[in-house]
Amino acid sequence: MSPRLAPPSVVAAQTISESSPIASPPFDIIAAYRRILNDDSISMPVAAILALVELIEFSAAGTTFELVQALTDGAEQLKSRTPNSISLSAGVELFVAFVTLFPHESDSFDDLKAELVSEGRKYAQEAQTYRAKIAEFTFKFIKDNAILTHSYSRVVMHALLHAHKHKRISVYVTEARPRGLGIKTCEALTALGVPCTVVLDSAVAYLMDKVDVVLVGSEAVVESGGLINAVGSYQLAIIAKAHHKPFYALAESYKFHRLFPLSQYDLPTHTPNILSFPRAPASTPPPTPARGLSSTNLGHPPPASASMTSDQLARNPEVDYTRPDLITLVFSDVGILTPSGVSQYLVGMFAG
Amino acid sequence: MDSQVDNLIWKLRRRQIVGSRLTAIETLLVLRQYITKAKFTTIDQLIQKIKGIGARLVAAQPTEPVVGNIVRKVLHHIREEYKTAANKPGSSIQSSAFSLRNFVVSGQPRHQATLQKTEARDHLTRSRSDWHHDNHAESLKPVIMEAIQDIFDELETVYESVSKSAKDHIHSDEIILTIGKSRTVESFLKAAAHTRKFTVIVAETAPSYGGKSTAKALASAGISTFLVPDSSIYALMSRVNKVILGAHAVLAQGGIFAVSGSLMVATAARAHSTPVVVCTGQFKLTPLWNLNNEYGSADIENPDAVLGFDEGSLVDKVDVVNPYYDYMKPELIDVLITNDGDHPPSSVYRLIKEAYDDADHEL
Repeated sequence: MSPRLAPPSVVAAQTISESSPIASPPFDIIAAYRRILNDDSISMPVAAILALVELIEFSAAGTTFELVQALTDGAEQLKSRTPNSISLSAGVELFVAFVTLFPHESDSFDDLKAELVSEGRKYAQEAQTYRAKIAEFTFKFIKDNAILTHSYSRVVMHALLHAHKHKRISVYVTEARPRGLGIKTCEALTALGVPCTVVLDSAVAYLMDKVDVVLVGSEAVVESGGLINAVGSYQLAIIAKAHHKPFYALAESYKFHRLFPLSQYDLPTHTPNILSFPRAPASTPPPTPARGLSSTNLGHPPPASASMTSDQLARNPEVDYTRPDLITLVFSDVGILTPSGVSQYLVGMFAG
Repeated sequence: MDSQVDNLIWKLRRRQIVGSRLTAIETLLVLRQYITKAKFTTIDQLIQKIKGIGARLVAAQPTEPVVGNIVRKVLHHIREEYKTAANKPGSSIQSSAFSLRNFVVSGQPRHQATLQKTEARDHLTRSRSDWHHDNHAESLKPVIMEAIQDIFDELETVYESVSKSAKDHIHSDEIILTIGKSRTVESFLKAAAHTRKFTVIVAETAPSYGGKSTAKALASAGISTFLVPDSSIYALMSRVNKVILGAHAVLAQGGIFAVSGSLMVATAARAHSTPVVVCTGQFKLTPLWNLNNEYGSADIENPDAVLGFDEGSLVDKVDVVNPYYDYMKPELIDVLITNDGDHPPSSVYRLIKEAYDDADHEL
C-alpha cells in the first residue's frame, strides 16, 4: 500500500501547538495518527478519521464552524507530512462533511462533540468489517483460476484468502518496484498455502494470456469512476483490456474521493519533479553499462550498479490513475458497482 | 394459502408458464393472495415471510429472473409504504439515527425528514428495534394492496408504454433488423408502423424459428418484411439502419440475456457502427450478475432441434448443445427502451437502485 508517515525532520510537538490555536492543551495530531497506524489492520483513511476524532475530544471549540476549522487544520497537517496522501484526504473529507452536516438537537455543544466522537469510533469499528464484506462479494466472481494482482493490498489479501478456502486459485503478483511490496504479498500467500509467484513489472503483457482475472486494491476511487493505486495499475489495466480480461478494483467506501483527474498529471501527487530531466552535468558519474550486454557474459546476473539511484527514483511517480473505461467492476462494501456507479455515492455525500 | 404458492412452484418447475410477462403476472397474483390472507404483527415479519416465499419460487425456476424481480418489487413497495406511514408527523416511529455509515450509503440527511423534537438522548438510543413494536403493520394492508395494483397496471400496460416512443426512434424509409420472437419488439414496430413506413428484416432464429412467427405477425400488420437465414445477418448489416432486439432479462451491469443469435447480431452491428436498441419492460431489470454464463447460456433447449435422434449413428459420437439465450455485454448495447423511458446501459445500476432495496438482492 502507500507509505506511512515520513519521520519529521524537526521536533513536531512545538511547531504544531503553535499552529493550532484552537486546541488547548496542545494536541499532536501527527503523533496520534502514527500511534493509531501502529495497528496494521487499520488503513490510512480510517486512522485519519480516528485521529480527527481524538482532535475533537481535545478541542475547545464552541461552535461547529470553529470545530470544522480545527478539523481542516489538523487534516492539512496530516497531509503535509504524508508523501502520498490521497486515501488520507478521502477519509478526512468524508468525516469533515459528516461533521458539517450532522443534525444536532443537543442542547450543549459538548454533547454534540460527544456524539461525533462516538459516531466516529463506531464507524471505525464498522470499517474493520468492510474487508470481509468485499471478500464475500469478490468470492462470487472468482472461479478456479489464475489471478493477477499488483503490489500489496490488505483488502485483496483478504479476498484471495477467502477464495482460497473454497476454491483452487493461483496468484501472480507483480513486483511493484521500487518498493517491492509484491514480494511481501507473495511471501504472505505462500505461507498460507496459496500457489504464488512474483513476476517482473515488465512481464505483465507476457503473462496476461495465462491470467483469468486481475484484482487490485486501491488508494482511492475517484468521481469519474477511475482508480488511483500504486504505479503500475494503469499498465495492468491497459494490458488486461487488450487481452479482454476482467479488471476488478477492490475499494472500501471510505476511499471514494471527490477528485476528477483528466490525466495522470492532474493527480495531487504529481509534482514538477516527477519525470523531469536531471540538469547536466550530473554530479555523480553515470552508472557503468551492464556488463551482461557483452556476449561473453550472457547468462550472468547484472551487476549491482545497474539499478536506479535514489535521485532517479525520486523522479518517478508513486501512484497512477486508471481510467474508468478500463475497469470492469468496483467491489466495495456498499455493493458491487460499475465505475459509473461510484459517482452516485459521492454526489449523495457532497452535493446532495 | 401455501397451496397457491406450491401450485406456482410446480408450474414453474414444469415450465408450464412461458413468457416473462405471464410469469410476472402469475407471481404477482400469488403474492397478492398471500398478503391478503397473511397475518403479521410487524412489517418485518411480513417481509421475512415474503422473502421466504421468494427464495422458494426463485429456486423452482432460476432461469426465469422475472420471478425474483417481482418479489423484490413487492418488498420494495412494502418498505416504502411503511416508511411513508412512519414519517408522518405525529407517528410514534422515528427514522434510524444518522451515522457515518448511513451518510455514505444514503447521502445527506433529507431536509424533509421529520425527526421528532424529543430529548437529545432519546435520539441516540432509537434504533431499528422500533420495527418490532409497532401497531401500524396490519393497517398498512390496504396501502400495500394499492401498491401491488400499481405493479399490476404497469405489467398490463408494458407493451403500450414501451411503444409510446416508437415513432421517435424509427424514421421513414429505415431498414430495421430484428431477431427472435419478442412481443415487446412486435408491438413497438407495429406502433411505429401507424405513422411511418419502413422495412424490417427478420432473422429466422434457428433452431427455434421464432423469427418466422415474428415475420408473419409484422407482415399481417402491413409492414414490409424480409425473412432471412441467420447466416446472412453480417452480409446484410451494411444496409441496416438500426437493430432492435428484445431481452429475456437485463442484468445489473447493463448486459442482457437475449435469444440465441442476438450476440451475433450485436457484434455485426458493432462492426458496422449500427445502433443497437433493446426493448424491454422495467420488470426485467435484475439485480444479479452474470456469474456462470460467461461463454454459455442461461438455459438449454432440446438438442433434438439441432441434431435429431433420427441421425442415430451420430447421436453417440457427438455432444449437441442447443443454448436458448446469449449473454450480451453492456458495451454492445446503445440504449434500452423501457416502459419507464430510455436509458443507456451504464445507468442500469441506478434504475435497479431505485426499483429494489439492497437487502433484497439475495433472496
